[in-house]
Amino acid sequence: MAVIEVDGLGKTYPGGTKALHDVSFQVPKGEVFCLLGRNGAGKTTLLRILATQLRPTTGRAVVLGHDVVHEAKLVREKISVVPQEARPQMMLSGYDHIYLMSLIRGMPRPEARKRTRAIMEEFDLWEHKDKLTADLSGGLRQRVMIAIALTMDPELIFLDEPTIGLDPLGRRQVWSMVRRLAKQGVTVLLTTHYMDEAEKLAGRLAIVDRGQMVFLGSVEAAKARAAHGMQVVVEPMNGNGGEPEVLSPTSDTEILAIVQRGIQEGRRVTFKPPTLEDAFIAMVGGGIDDEGA
Amino acid sequence: MMRAREAVYIGLFDSLPLLRDPMLLILLSLIAFLPVLFIFAFGVGGGALLASVVGAIVLSLAFAGIGSAQSVYFNKHWFRFQDIFVASRVSPISYALGLSVSTLLVSLPALVIAFAVLMLDTPMGVLGLLALLAVAGLTWMAMLLMGFALGASTKNTRRANSLPQLLGLLLGFLPPVYYPLSQLPPALQPLALALPTTNAAQLAKYYAGLIPLTPLEFWFGWAYLVGFVAAMVVIASRMAHWMDP
Repeated sequence: MAVIEVDGLGKTYPGGTKALHDVSFQVPKGEVFCLLGRNGAGKTTLLRILATQLRPTTGRAVVLGHDVVHEAKLVREKISVVPQEARPQMMLSGYDHIYLMSLIRGMPRPEARKRTRAIMEEFDLWEHKDKLTADLSGGLRQRVMIAIALTMDPELIFLDEPTIGLDPLGRRQVWSMVRRLAKQGVTVLLTTHYMDEAEKLAGRLAIVDRGQMVFLGSVEAAKARAAHGMQVVVEPMNGNGGEPEVLSPTSDTEILAIVQRGIQEGRRVTFKPPTLEDAFIAMVGGGIDDEGA
Repeated sequence: MMRAREAVYIGLFDSLPLLRDPMLLILLSLIAFLPVLFIFAFGVGGGALLASVVGAIVLSLAFAGIGSAQSVYFNKHWFRFQDIFVASRVSPISYALGLSVSTLLVSLPALVIAFAVLMLDTPMGVLGLLALLAVAGLTWMAMLLMGFALGASTKNTRRANSLPQLLGLLLGFLPPVYYPLSQLPPALQPLALALPTTNAAQLAKYYAGLIPLTPLEFWFGWAYLVGFVAAMVVIASRMAHWMDP
């Protein structure tokens, strides 16, 4: 059974902004599913609808067997969410957050204490338990936020841009947490606009652009869409004889011609297969970094 | 029972940073007592001193109630804990109650002191005390609901901090809360009576035996407070959403 079933989902905000249009997909249990798209593409809107925080205007979404609008209460029993740019209270410790959230979610005090310790140890937070979150690094703060989401053993966790603003080490810490969750059988829906993140984590991904889903499939399938996004570097063998040429052939005939020329001129020919970023740009028609530039 | 537990822990979660900082808590409590200290220092008559203690109660409740605007705004847009709670078993009622409890926890020291002073220095009986508590409760609810409506409709982080403070000041300090209504020019008195804090202060001073009220003034005060709270319930419930539209 699919953990998430989305059929023709659409959202137009009360002001008239169309954020999502006719989106359909399914996510099976235990998958890390990435929603990839530039800022404002509709990723967060989609995630918030699935997490029962926002009403859709058209279509239907079923999460863990329950309709997100009419059976929101039943969905909420089994999910957790780490909202985009969520941050802990600076004047409380990581322990305070996780312990109090366990109590709020109905755990008796002794169990909440045990659970807090177990989660903090599992995510290497225990040694920082008494530090105010104001004194923690960005990566540790984000780990606290994800740990909060795990106080109730969710079957499905929503992570909205969980590594935004983190340094490379912080990002890797979050990635390892996501992998650990997936190993435990938790389904993860994650939004990101970082290509490397999607490439490293996603079982499958959906690319969302201007509220529409322009791709659904594996990372490899996405790359295959940009088959002719391949780059060929032609450079001198011994480091002399001019600058390397970077070529972007658009057909098999062009590739063959470049190789033949390289052999004839005694130059090294290196192929760079298309990246997810190439595929993304090919599909959405512009680089993420170009937005707003 | 489970919902009450949720509310208490949400309240604790929201107020814990302040409760862990007693110095800040005392400073916040002192703000309401500053006029009392001035009146005491300048030796104005005993009646004025007790009236200013009533003012301290009203101001504390005004600031505590309207302070909910900051909790509502920051939990929704800054920390995003509201979104975390929405996607969980927590009920919207528990959440709203929790944030409300949080405002009371923070204003409790000032209120306990002020009530203790009034109990010791005025001939207020048990019924008078209960009536005074009811007035205090309505004042707090009126300001609290105003805070919820304000916090839910605020879109700007800077305003989320300044607007509640400004409103607290306008409703708590400027009207005849610390000083008698009769001190205002007659033309301004009806204007002052259009504010919930003036009516609350008038009723509180009456129950503390500090001023007389005509039956019309008495019933107007109660009707105004109850009506204001009812209106605020409607406005706040329309503006504050659990699941966004």
